Amino acid sequence: MSAGVRVRGLLKSFGDQQVLKGIDLDIAPGEVVGLIGPNGAGKTTLMSCLLGFLHPNAGEITIDGAPNDDLDVRRRTGFVPERMNFDRRETGRNFLRYMARLAEVKDAKTKVDAIMERLDIANAAHKRLSQYSRGMLQRVGMCQALIHEPAYLFLDEPTSGLDPNGVLLVRDLIAAQKQRGAAVLLNSHQLAEVGKICDRVFFLSGGVIAREETLRHVDRILVAITMLAGTYDAAAVERVANAAPRENHVVIATVETENDIAEIVRELAATGAGIIDVRRHTADLEGIFRGEA
Amino acid sequence: MSGVVVLETLRRQASNLLAVVYVAFLMILGLASSRLEAPLWATFLTLLAIVTGAGLIGPEFSSGTLQLILVKPINRSVYLVSRFAGVVLFLAIAATLAFSCEAIGRLVWGGADRIKDSAIMLLNAVSDAALICALMALFGSFLRAYFNVALYWVIQILLGLIESLFKLASMAKNGFLAWLNDTITSHPIIPDSLAWLQRNLYPDAPQKLDRDWLLMVWSNVAIAIVLACFIFRRREVPYGAD
Repeated sequence: MSAGVRVRGLLKSFGDQQVLKGIDLDIAPGEVVGLIGPNGAGKTTLMSCLLGFLHPNAGEITIDGAPNDDLDVRRRTGFVPERMNFDRRETGRNFLRYMARLAEVKDAKTKVDAIMERLDIANAAHKRLSQYSRGMLQRVGMCQALIHEPAYLFLDEPTSGLDPNGVLLVRDLIAAQKQRGAAVLLNSHQLAEVGKICDRVFFLSGGVIAREETLRHVDRILVAITMLAGTYDAAAVERVANAAPRENHVVIATVETENDIAEIVRELAATGAGIIDVRRHTADLEGIFRGEA
Repeated sequence: MSGVVVLETLRRQASNLLAVVYVAFLMILGLASSRLEAPLWATFLTLLAIVTGAGLIGPEFSSGTLQLILVKPINRSVYLVSRFAGVVLFLAIAATLAFSCEAIGRLVWGGADRIKDSAIMLLNAVSDAALICALMALFGSFLRAYFNVALYWVIQILLGLIESLFKLASMAKNGFLAWLNDTITSHPIIPDSLAWLQRNLYPDAPQKLDRDWLLMVWSNVAIAIVLACFIFRRREVPYGAD
């Protein structure tokens, strides 16, 4: 039995429109993985297929080796949707108690009170959900997803509508889930947030995973070298920097150490290129996303 | 069957002010019925069945609560059947309260001999309410929000209109209605089918104990629930948008 989430050859169409065009991905236990991409890329559809809300046209989804609709898998799954539209007549406490009992949580009352306290909504526990702000509803969503300490957590824009304190809280909560060995799939448009939280990120574009990036343990440096027009040979620059010079006479090279920067500059100078500026950037998610989107 | 879902459904109804007020109204009607020939509350139970049955599944789908429930370790069919059971249990309690008021009234003001007839009406009214809820569950298994009520009424109105049209046609001498009359006379399966549909979907509760009627109603309840589960298990429940 393979541990973790495993997706192979996932296809999903709505009528003639093929939204997912063959998705393969793996998420290991204890890993926090981001899912980013432009609107219409198929992120929500992918999340819906993973959770069993939508039936794929083809492909396989397993969690710990079992189909994703297996009840035992669901015992280990938590989900936070982007929009929290519960039955607004319910009080926060009653709603969460119901969710906890459905999730087969022992001693639901105590655990609901504890998690509401942890997410800082205990003082609104007796209020109807119609009186909750969007940020508070988002916290209720986090509560219902975390109350049974799931091994797999699927979060769709969990910080949407949250104030800065809420964002920090969610970040801490995700870190805590990772620490206890849970796998987290985070669908978010907030690239900075994904960059801070995730170990890996999938770029979904046009229904396929266009790119997969590891954000932890790999230090990549982007270096932008500006050359004087007419002083360099494009082919020689491409050979040295592994990237072609752009129209503005800038070549952007990817290196792993600062020594590599010095080496590239030295080699470019040796080809006769007149170097007038060298700027160093650490590769961030936004930069990578700009390259993909 | 999930006890958690049944109890939660009951709790929600009990904490719904409108539902509680309506049950109190039924109890008052129960008392009033003790002075009448037929139990008036049984007629009004139908409306409560439609309103509570309407919320069985559709609104949860539209509000997004359903998606949160479906990631929990509960089988879709078990969930649907439990919701149905919870609503029917609530209606049975409401009907029993109304019947009890009627029985008390008859004991106090006379007419205790009619309590047995009212008890039969209790059984018939609850069976009728269960069929309404089963149809709501069936329609809700493929529709969103409260469209199940709309469909329930649309079918009922259509059947009524067609029945009236057939009666009108039987009196016509020429024109379209005469042609229609000829058609239904030569194809009796058409009016028979419509009458069968009317009888099975919208049966009038008899005033006496009718085992055949009860068997028909509960068979239809079972068929509707099985169909609802079959559809609901395969239904896609998308949320949000890309």
